[in-house]
Formats: sequence, structure tokens, C-alpha cells
Amino acid sequence: MESLWSVEKIRSILPHRYPFLFIDKVIKINTNERKVTCLKDVTANEYYFQGHFPGRPIMPGVIIVEALAQTSIILYAALKPDQAAKKPLYYLGKVEAKFKKAVLPGSQLFLQAEAEKLVATAGIIKAKAIVADEVVAEASISFGVKIEDDNSA
Amino acid sequence: MAKNIDKIKQEVKSLVSDITEIPEADLAEDAKFTEDLGVDSMMALEIVASIEKKYKTPVPEEKIPNLQSLKDIYDLLEELL
Repeated sequence: MESLWSVEKIRSILPHRYPFLFIDKVIKINTNERKVTCLKDVTANEYYFQGHFPGRPIMPGVIIVEALAQTSIILYAALKPDQAAKKPLYYLGKVEAKFKKAVLPGSQLFLQAEAEKLVATAGIIKAKAIVADEVVAEASISFGVKIEDDNSA
Repeated sequence: MAKNIDKIKQEVKSLVSDITEIPEADLAEDAKFTEDLGVDSMMALEIVASIEKKYKTPVPEEKIPNLQSLKDIYDLLEELL
């Protein structure tokens, strides 16, 4: 599956890096529907499987939420490219999540984010994580965006 | 739209109270959200989103920064509804 964005572009938007970058590819961007889909290939080698849990690897729910929050930043960047280019600080405000099914090694984790309300300074996002066409988690995510005063020019 | 403005005011106040967790009695009409009530940008957006949902009317993004008190919201709703 091809990515619409290069790894460099993803890294230019998301400040996260290993071991906390959970987006491999950006698969779909629909600015009219205010929706994006990203992909994380969950391999058997993910570092968190060492401890969660020994002999019984399950992707931690908090990491699925983090992946959905990162997808929300990609959505913000798709809808507000000029603001995102200023490399603002993104901070998570509120999460309501439901987990429906365990995510196991070898899964293709599709991460969907849809803007319920999104402005330059904040967003409320409806997000879903999907494996093999089945919703494994859903979340409502609120985040704030702070563009630091640019005196650097 | 001939909707009762007093009723709208009451509804908006209770909605703002729910989101900010500030008792209605402490929500003065002209208290500033950020300075006086400690409302942050995310709560502000939640307020706007729930108003949009409740009254089924979009609030333009450029109007949001002007919504600094309950009174500002009442005025905007009078204009929009």
C-alpha cells in the first residue's frame, strides 16, 4: 500500500521519533470530508511487546490512542497546512476511548481521523482504529495547538 | 427566528457549565472565559462544537476568537438564529 506522504514529510509534521512515532504511512486524505487514514504495520518486533505481555503480545491500548492522536495531527496538517508548517506544539487535552478487540503482531492497523470541529488553535476529532475491516478501537480526541511566536523569521 | 432568547441563554449557560465544570451560579454574563474563568482553547472549541450541534448552525472560525464571554455567545446566537 503506497503512502501519499514520504517518511520525511511525515517526520516534518510529527515531532515524534522512535520509539514514539506510530505512523508508517499516510494512505488517504480527504479534505472535503475532513478525514485522513494512516497506517501502522504492527510487527512482531515492536519493543513494547517485550513487556506487554511476555509470551502473549498485545498492542497496548494507550499506544493505539497515541497512534490515533498522531493521526489527528496529520489531519490538522492536511486541513491547516500553513499553520502546521510553523511546527506548533500539539498538546492532548481529552480522550474518551473504547477498545473492542486486541491488536496482535502482524496486524495492519488503519488509523482514521475525522474532524468534528477543527480550527487553527484546537481540534475535536473522531478517530477509529481498524484491523481487517473491523473497528478495534474508537476515540474522541481533543487537542490544542500552540504556535510559538516566530521571532526566528 | 422567534426563539425565546431567555430560554437560549439558560440552555447555553447550562451547556457552558457542563463543559467547564463551573457552577451556573458562578458564570456571570460578562465574565471573561480565559482570564476570569480559566477556560482553555480546547474547552472553548468544545463549547462552540456543542452549540453548533444543539442549534444546528455552523459558527464561522473567524468568529470564535471574539467569543470571550457568555454575553458574546448570546449576541452571536441572536445574530445566527
